[in-house]
Amino acid sequence: MAFVEFRDVCKLYQMGSVEVRAVDGMTFDIERGELCVIVGPSGAGKTTVLNMLGGMDSCTSGTITLDGTAVSGLSERELTQYRRHQIGFVFQFYNLVQNLTALENVELASQICRDPLPATQVLSEVGLANRMDNFPAQLSGGEQQRVAIARALAKNPKLLLCDEPTGALDYRTGKQILQLLQDTCRQQGRTVAIVTHNSAFTQMADRVIRIREGRAQSVETNGHPLDASGVEW
Amino acid sequence: MRSAFLKEILRSVRGSLGRFLAIMGIAALGCGFFAGLKLCGPEMRRAGDLLYDGCDLYDLRVISSQGWDSADVDRIAAANGVDAAMPSRTADVVARVGKQQVAVRVSSLDVDAAAASSQASDYEVDSDDPFYLNRPKLLSGRWPQASGECVVSADPTDPSPEGERLELLYGTQDLGKVFSVTELEVVGVIASPVYPYTGSYGSTTLGSGSIDRYVNVAPQTFAADFPYTEVYLTVEGASSLESGSDEYEALVTKTKKRLQAMADDLAQARLADIKAKAQEQIDAAQAELDDRSADAREKLDVAQAKLDMAAEQIESSQTELADGEAAQSQGKTQLDQGRAQAEAQLAAAQARIDSGKAQLADKGAQLDAAQSQLDSEAAAQLSSHGVSVANASEAQTALRLAIGVLDQGRQRLADLKAQIDAARAEGKTDEELAALLEELRAQAAALLEPYGIEVIDGETALAKLDALRQELDSALKGLESAQARIDAGREQLAQAQATLDAAQDALDDQSVSAEIRLSVAQAKLDVAQGTLDSGRSRLESAQSSYEDGARQLEDSRADAERQLQEAQARIDEAQRQVDDLEAPQVYVLDRTQNEGVATYDADTRRMDSIAAVFPLVFFLVAALVSLTTMTRMVEDDRVLIGTFKALGYSTGRIASKYLLYAAMASVSGAVFGIALLTQVLPRIVTFAYSIIYVVPLAPLPLPIDPGIALVSGGIGVGVTLIATWAAVVSSLTSTPAVLLLPRVPKAGKRILLERLGPLWSRMSFSWKVTCRNLFRYKRRLLMTVVGIAGCTALLLTGFGLHDSIWDIIDRQYGPIVHYNTTVSLDDSATSADVEAVAAYLGQEGATGTVRVQSENLQAGSSLHAPLRVSVAVPMSSDELPQALTFKDRLSQDPVTFDDDSVVLTEKTAKLLGVGVGNTFRLYDQDDVGNAVGEGHELTVTGIVENYVGNVVYVGREAWAAMGSEDPVFQTLYTNVGSSEGEREALSSALASQDHVSTVVFTDETINMYRNALSAVNMVVVVLIVSAAALAFIVLYNLTNINVSERIREIASLKVLGFTRHEVHAYIFREMVILALLGDILGLVLGTWLETFVVTTAEVDYVMFGRLIHAPSYGYSFALTLVFTVLVLLFMRPKLDRVNMVESLKSVD
Repeated sequence: MAFVEFRDVCKLYQMGSVEVRAVDGMTFDIERGELCVIVGPSGAGKTTVLNMLGGMDSCTSGTITLDGTAVSGLSERELTQYRRHQIGFVFQFYNLVQNLTALENVELASQICRDPLPATQVLSEVGLANRMDNFPAQLSGGEQQRVAIARALAKNPKLLLCDEPTGALDYRTGKQILQLLQDTCRQQGRTVAIVTHNSAFTQMADRVIRIREGRAQSVETNGHPLDASGVEW
Repeated sequence: MRSAFLKEILRSVRGSLGRFLAIMGIAALGCGFFAGLKLCGPEMRRAGDLLYDGCDLYDLRVISSQGWDSADVDRIAAANGVDAAMPSRTADVVARVGKQQVAVRVSSLDVDAAAASSQASDYEVDSDDPFYLNRPKLLSGRWPQASGECVVSADPTDPSPEGERLELLYGTQDLGKVFSVTELEVVGVIASPVYPYTGSYGSTTLGSGSIDRYVNVAPQTFAADFPYTEVYLTVEGASSLESGSDEYEALVTKTKKRLQAMADDLAQARLADIKAKAQEQIDAAQAELDDRSADAREKLDVAQAKLDMAAEQIESSQTELADGEAAQSQGKTQLDQGRAQAEAQLAAAQARIDSGKAQLADKGAQLDAAQSQLDSEAAAQLSSHGVSVANASEAQTALRLAIGVLDQGRQRLADLKAQIDAARAEGKTDEELAALLEELRAQAAALLEPYGIEVIDGETALAKLDALRQELDSALKGLESAQARIDAGREQLAQAQATLDAAQDALDDQSVSAEIRLSVAQAKLDVAQGTLDSGRSRLESAQSSYEDGARQLEDSRADAERQLQEAQARIDEAQRQVDDLEAPQVYVLDRTQNEGVATYDADTRRMDSIAAVFPLVFFLVAALVSLTTMTRMVEDDRVLIGTFKALGYSTGRIASKYLLYAAMASVSGAVFGIALLTQVLPRIVTFAYSIIYVVPLAPLPLPIDPGIALVSGGIGVGVTLIATWAAVVSSLTSTPAVLLLPRVPKAGKRILLERLGPLWSRMSFSWKVTCRNLFRYKRRLLMTVVGIAGCTALLLTGFGLHDSIWDIIDRQYGPIVHYNTTVSLDDSATSADVEAVAAYLGQEGATGTVRVQSENLQAGSSLHAPLRVSVAVPMSSDELPQALTFKDRLSQDPVTFDDDSVVLTEKTAKLLGVGVGNTFRLYDQDDVGNAVGEGHELTVTGIVENYVGNVVYVGREAWAAMGSEDPVFQTLYTNVGSSEGEREALSSALASQDHVSTVVFTDETINMYRNALSAVNMVVVVLIVSAAALAFIVLYNLTNINVSERIREIASLKVLGFTRHEVHAYIFREMVILALLGDILGLVLGTWLETFVVTTAEVDYVMFGRLIHAPSYGYSFALTLVFTVLVLLFMRPKLDRVNMVESLKSVD
């Protein structure tokens, strides 16, 4: 059984009188310790997949499991616990709390979960040992995203979900972030899922899931992924 | 274009309804509250004016100290500017109702007009009679018709007084001169516009000093010659102006001045009338006196004449008596002479008789000598015969006896001899003869032997016997002749004696007859003397009665003279009084001098003062709310503004969108708020005041003063627009390029608190972020703190006001005043009467009784015009603490009071502006309530805590030093059983005691205050409701902004796995802290606001409590928190609705 399983997952939105099928029978797996890139154009259902995987939204039908636990069918409260303990989330726009320092932002996450990693250690790992007491506004975008990643990692999640993690960053910084994510996967064996519209990222992935019109168009495993530093776009 | 722009605005309204409503709400609240409160005073005045005009309340009242008659009324009515005039009689009396004594103000009522009047509405009494003023409303029962019927003021404790009787006891004048009745019967209940304030109907010099009830009676209830006491006037055109307004005052003052100018003439005319009337009376009295005096003199003269006649008679009888006495003494002399003569004659005759007697006695002696010779001779003779005799007569007798015996013996002897001889003749024997002879011899011997003749033989014995007989016989004969001679001598002597005795008898007779004659004469004289004596005594009694009569006459003459003189003196005094009569004092009083109207007006002004300060809080909050809200809106629209700018819209045009938005919100809010609250607030306030005033509730809708509405709306809208402009202007100055970029998030900053390392490191991240957030958004902090503080301040003011007001009762009765009953005696009571009542109270179980003299006077200082005060002079300053505790309010230190002390209550001292060591003056007051005289200066020795009434406590010595008359101490402070039944029993028992005029139970006073002060509870409710509204708007708006501004953050937290509660806590903790800060600040602010309101709302008569109680701080604090929590609970769903997907969106 795969680490993450999507089986015939459908998501319907009622937009007034129109029924929109954001995800329409999506099926894929992600194995433990893989760096998976989910790629697709705008409106293909990437975000919906992310939401459902991240426990922010539930599916209309089908089953989603993470490490043998069914995510689909969880109650609101269970979903909160799921997010809290299983998932680390990295946003496109970092979503740091402006009023907390880098360290405090990490603690914000680590303080609420069962088995957190030490915040300072995580921050050191993402290369911010010297900037721990800085406020987000005092950090560059890349640094902020590192803080965000650190915040996600500090929770010691089973799955690290990243939503366009380089979307707000310049090329160089973006690359560094991708490197960080790849390192996290490789060195810590953490399962990482990156959602992006940028197909260039597929080169560094262990598994590439291509989405189009609410379906997994293809699921490919990449036997020889590139090092993140080699990815070009 | 234009319409697209407008559409955009309208859509933005729709899209941000919460924000729009927040601005609208705060504008509504601010403007409405301002306008509503501002209108309370004017609305109250308008309601008052409706009543005054509806009932034709007088504008001016002209009083004279000597009353008026109809001529005066005509004079007054003829004055320029006077519309209608109504004369009236008013008198204050103390009456007994049931067991109670109450001070009653009795006024005459035009009963015909009253009966014909109709009640058009709650505040209008219609009448065809334009001269029927001060029209009372009939609440129940009927109008009085007959003399002695009355309608009485409403009394909530006595809902149906019909049928009750008011026994008139005493008044300021002799009741007989004032009323034609002694009792009034209640036939109905009225509310008179003259007494709009039901808490007090005015003051009086009677009883406890305040009027308990007022009644209206038919005019004939007053005595026929009791003058009008006042004339009520309406001023032309005054009814179209609002009572109390400047225009009204100006108009009325014009007429008032005119009347005051006339006052002298009126007074002089009145004086002339009174003088003429009095002179008439005096002249009549003088004439009567003259008559009486003539009468009396005549009567006295008649009596004198009688007396004189009696004197004459006495004199003539005196003469007669003297004559009689002279005659009497002459008679006496004559009698004495006659007596002497007779006595001399009688004495001579007696002398002659006495010499005859002496001769007779000589002769007698001779005879006696002869007799005794004879006797001795006879005795001697006889003794020879052996017979012993004492005298001749015995000798004769003895001789005769012896002769008799001898004769008898001779016979027997002879018989015997014859026998012998016969016997011898017969021859009898010797023997028989011998026996006869023997017997003869024995018998002879028996006869003769005593004479010594021896008988030897019987026959011879005869001879011897014959011899003896012879001898005896001759002796007898000799004796008899001697005796005869003596006897003849004796005879002659006896004859002489008889002659002499006859002479003696004659003399005695003569003597007796002379005696008788003299006695008769004496008796006559005695009778005459008696007559004379009785005549004398009669004369003497006549004399003394004459003298009595003369003295009496003298007395009664003096008496009559004195009486006449006294009467004359009285008349002269009356004459002098009339001559000295001064023109009456004429007072022209307007409505401001009507206690009820003035109190009401003062209350409306107080409302004005309160209205001036309260809304400031709201406007301040409104400005802050608008500023933060609009700032948020402008920031939200950042990109839009950039777009508009990029499209070529001018700065002004873009700004106009927000100004228009703000204007729409604030104008609609202002209109709504003003429309609603100008109805609701004045309505609530007038309703609250209608509890203690008879002023009606004006019909809705209440008129809205356009000025106030515009000012209020203007300020509200202006403040909002200025705040909006301030919010917009910073964004608009940026270039479009900057605006189109995502907003740079407001940088986090370290705060001061972090310097406190140990504390900070112990705080959880959520507390850290809360603290940082608090200082990050300073505007929001300010708005929230000020808004919440305003809310708490309002609450605290409300509760504090409640405390202050109930403190009046709670602190006054118990901690300060210990007695629960005040018993007052009337002015005529003596010290003994008071003692009797005190003793009675003692019997009934009253304790702690303290006697004081209480007076209603006025106190003035250089800083303050005289105000009414109660003056209490305790009989014993040592006992006073049983009834009262004197202490300083702040320090609670006791204030000493002794016989020299003068202690003021705190409020009195404050009003007079005096402190310990300063001086003030006490004045007497007249019936109208003006201070009179020079007054007496006193030095304050202490100031004491006190809440009800203005009291001056004066020590006995200090009182005496004022030169006041020695007081009776006619008032008793005492403690009796506090149950209703005990009170009733005592009250009725005391009513039957002499001189007891009033019995006041503190509990009843407390109830009265509770009733009067209940109006304030309503204000408290208004304040609490407004505070809640304010708190809600501020908190809702703040939370709304806070949430919408931090939606990403919230979404991120949710994604991070924060539970609902953690998210709520994360956001709300901030609110709660702000609320707490505002709450604390509000307590400070509220303390200040409450003090302001309390000092403003206070009336002269009472001092409100100055301290807000701890529980009130607690309630205010807690209620604000409750409001906060409610708002937060209300906001919770909004937080829950925040979608996590928001976290994925880009920043814009």
